[in-house]
Parts: sequence; C-alpha cells; structure tokens
Amino acid sequence: MFSLLQIEWLKIKKYPAFWAMLIIVLLTYPAANLMFYNVYLNITTQKGTDMLAKMLLGNPFAFPETWHTVAYISSFFVILPSILVIMLVTNEYQYKTQRQNIIDGWTRRQFMTSKLMDVLIVSGITTILYTLVAIGFSIYASTFDTTKIWDQSYYIGLFFLQTFAQLTIAFLLGYLIKKAFIALGIFLFYYLIVENIATGYIKMKAEKIGGDIGRYLPFEISDRMIVAPAFIGRFGKDIKTAYEKSLSEVPSQIALSLLLTTAIWAFCFFMHRKKDL
Amino acid sequence: MHPILTITGVSKNYGKLTALDAVSFEVPAGAVFGILGPNGSGKTTLLSILLDVLHADTGKFSWFGNTPQTNNRKQIGSLLETPNFYHYLSAVDNLKITQAISGRGDSADIDKVLEIVKLAERKKSKFSSYSLGMKQRLAIGAALLGNPDVLVFDEPTNGLDPVGIAEIRDLIKSLAASGKTIIMASHLLDEVEKVCTHVAILKKGTLLTAGPVDEVLAQEDIVEIAASNNDALLNTIELMGGFSKVKKHDNCLQLFYPIGTAQLESINKYCFEKGITLQQLQLKKKSLETKFFELTND
Repeated sequence: MFSLLQIEWLKIKKYPAFWAMLIIVLLTYPAANLMFYNVYLNITTQKGTDMLAKMLLGNPFAFPETWHTVAYISSFFVILPSILVIMLVTNEYQYKTQRQNIIDGWTRRQFMTSKLMDVLIVSGITTILYTLVAIGFSIYASTFDTTKIWDQSYYIGLFFLQTFAQLTIAFLLGYLIKKAFIALGIFLFYYLIVENIATGYIKMKAEKIGGDIGRYLPFEISDRMIVAPAFIGRFGKDIKTAYEKSLSEVPSQIALSLLLTTAIWAFCFFMHRKKDL
Repeated sequence: MHPILTITGVSKNYGKLTALDAVSFEVPAGAVFGILGPNGSGKTTLLSILLDVLHADTGKFSWFGNTPQTNNRKQIGSLLETPNFYHYLSAVDNLKITQAISGRGDSADIDKVLEIVKLAERKKSKFSSYSLGMKQRLAIGAALLGNPDVLVFDEPTNGLDPVGIAEIRDLIKSLAASGKTIIMASHLLDEVEKVCTHVAILKKGTLLTAGPVDEVLAQEDIVEIAASNNDALLNTIELMGGFSKVKKHDNCLQLFYPIGTAQLESINKYCFEKGITLQQLQLKKKSLETKFFELTND
C-alpha cells in the first residue's frame, strides 16, 4: 500500500496542475472566508443595529463555530480540487499509462487503489488547508479562546468526507468519460447548474412529490452534511424549524454519503477488473 | 526445460469480428520469437492479452510455466504498441515510475539503460519534448530496466531512422546472444529474418504456422538456374522433371523440389548433355518474405 502511495507521489509531485491547484486553493479559501468576514463586520459595526446583529450572529469565526463556518464557506470551492482529480485520471488515458502501469506489473486492482489514493491525497490536502484557514481565521477574527478550540472540530472529519465524496463523483466522471475537457464540462454543468436547478425545483414542489427528495441528488447528499452556519437558525421561527430539520438529517446524510461513495468505488474497481484497457 | 510462454487456444472477438481464433504455440527459453502478420492480423491483440491489458474470451496462457500472475509481468520488459509515458515528466522520472512498479533495476540501472538507448544527454528533458524516435528509444530503455530475462517488443523499430533501426537490430541480436528470450511482433520481415530463431505467422487472427525459422521456411528446396537463353533452358528443363514446379524469376528459373531432393550435380550434368551451359546454379532458402506472402495472400 505504501509503495502505491510512493508511486502516485512520483506522478503527482512534478505535475504543474497539482501545484497550481494548491496555490489557487491556498488563495481562495482565505479570500472567500475573508469576504464573508467583511460582511459580518459591516453588519455588526453599523450603529443602531450592531448590538442586535452581534446577539443574533455571535461571532461565526470564533472557536468553536469557526470550524463550521469555514467548512461551509470553503465547501463551495470543491470545484478546484475536482478539476485536479479529473485531470489526474484522464491523464492516465491520454498518456495510455493506465495500460503501461499494468504492463509494468501492477494488477488492475492496484491501479484502481492508486487512483483511490490520489483522491484521498487531494481530499487530505484540501482538508489540511481548510483546517489551517479555520484556525488562522479564528486567531485573526476573535480573541483566541483555547478552551473551546476542539469543541466542533468534528467538522474537520465532515469536511474531509464531503470533499472525498464529491471528488469521488468527479473521479467517476473522469474515469468513464476519459477526455479531460468533456468530463470537466459535464462536471461543471451538472455541479453548478443542473443540480442547483433540480434541488430548487424539488424544494418548490416538495409537497406534490412527497417530500424533499432533492437531498438524494449526488452532490446534495454530501452537501447537506455541512449545513449553513448556526446563526442562520436564529432568524425567525420557520427558518429555525427548517434549520433544525436540516441538522437532524445530518446523520442520515453522512450514512448516505458513505454509501454512495463506497458504491462508486466498488463500481470502479469492478469495471476496471472486467474491462479491456 | 519449461517453455517461457505457452499459449493454448486463445481467442478474442470484438462483436462479430474475430481478432484471434484459438491461437496456440510455445516460446522456448532463449528463443528470439518473431510474431508476423499483416495489419489487423491480431499481433498486438495477442501481446496485449499476454500482458493482461486485454482479456481473452477463451483459452489460456502461462508465463514461466505458471498460470498468469502479476509477478510474471514484473519479470518481463515490454514495449507494447506505443511508448506510454507521463508527458510532463523527464525520462529519468518516468523510468523511476517503471522501476517502482516493476521492481526491476535501481537508479544506476536508469542511467545505464539511458546510455544504451542513447538518451543520456536528454535524460532530464520532458517526455513531451522528445521526437517519435526518442520516445521509442525510451520505451525500449524502460523494457531493458533491471536486465530482464524475457523481453516483449511490439514493432520495436517504429519511428526510428535507418541508423536507429540498425542499432536496435544489433541490440536485439546482442540481447539474444546473452541468452534472453525475446518475443517480437513486426511488419519488417527482413528484420525478423535477420534476428529471429522462431516465427509465428498470423492472418486475420488465425495462426498459419509457428516454429523454428528453418523449419517454417525450409519446406521446399529452391534451385535457381540461368543460362544465356533462359527460354531454351526452360524448354529443356521441363523435359527433365523431378521437381514439383518451375517458374521464371528475374533473370533465372526457379525449380521447386520436395525438401532434401534437389541434386545440383545431376541438374548441371543434364543441362550440359543437352548442350546448355549454366551460368548460375544455386540452392536457395526460401526468404521469409516469400513464405509470408505465400501464406498470407488469398
């Protein structure tokens, strides 16, 4: 297993797109969170409403809430590592190295395990960046209260699982479509447009179609593991009820994410064992 | 001694198209085994099955007397169809991956094989900057990593210039001389004839013949004769008989005899007694090219 990891590192460490993704994520996560933080500052420093806003919002960037807030905001940018994952799998087809790796001695199972490791590596690096940003922001945006640092740190696990689940879908598209640009196009079109419209439409027609089945859509399954930050739930009764419902669904969304992700990888392993390369 | 490779009834279909039809043969240890056939005859399909890139529909094969195992492929240096490397990596970095996957060789070996295939000066250049010939050389270098006992080359001289072709031919000869088993698919009959000890000929997925080159080629004796007047010679020689057929070939006549039955002395004597002085009298082996066209032409 360790040797597979070493070999994947040999492939990745000199791949320019990997470092480009890393730099972009490194810039994007703090920038996006800073943007939200500025909005928060504007609301909480306006004369007359500042006290009320502070009471309602709290400080979403202070420990332990920062784990949740930064995870929620950062999760919008899963597109960036997704592009890298799609490139990593389609490269193997473009260069025909998916054949060469087998010719050189890997089993098909080892090849697929190595790709699973790629997705785990990218998810892991993304999660480390998220963790650093969450800690950094809390230090920057609040008085550093060490007593509550780890209270909601389970969001690190949730963020990792969400990223891994969504990158797995990106991987599946790259694996099946084989062409980088077509796979990227379909991924972006579905992720940004189709599923958002479908989710909104289903929500609107929820009563007619027997409930909010939008939560079973591929990205929604894992999206709903990290609900909007807690202060959202403090506005109005209806919102509070909906927010509490979302929170209560988190365990089932986690189970569904694990199920879907496992099913995708099982399918990929099965396909790769059976198909001609 | 076990054969290095045993293929038994391997078949492969793509829909209605039969790519391989129950192909069986053995590759003895130390052989330079040429797999010949026109385009689309199934050479690369067969090698792809042997290297687990494709699945056979039926039949089986075994390397080193074992059933297919991963470790078998690690002991075989292979170049299949095209040089497949990571375009953004250098020759050295690509070979590090080959080495890590196959477990063949060490870092000193990488430099050694790059010297052999004359890429040492460009070893740090990205693969994407290589010419077609350089890419092919790198693929041959990758196959040579760790000095494996068995090598599989699919069209090894593809993309090489005449000097490069001669170098690879010499390399294959020297590898064969050192006792390696080499399995080589090629269109270049002349190349194969120069280096191969054994040959298999495929046509539309069917194995037409397989065995030692001498046995495959030497099914007939061919005697070439010529005189100042070949037409008169033809009329005379037809009366002599004893051969299976006679035909005009360039500036001579070719007489075909069942193997081992041609007697040059009696032919010479017969012609002389009939008043014809032969300018040429030679027992020839059938060229691989002749045999190939004979077998593969409809």
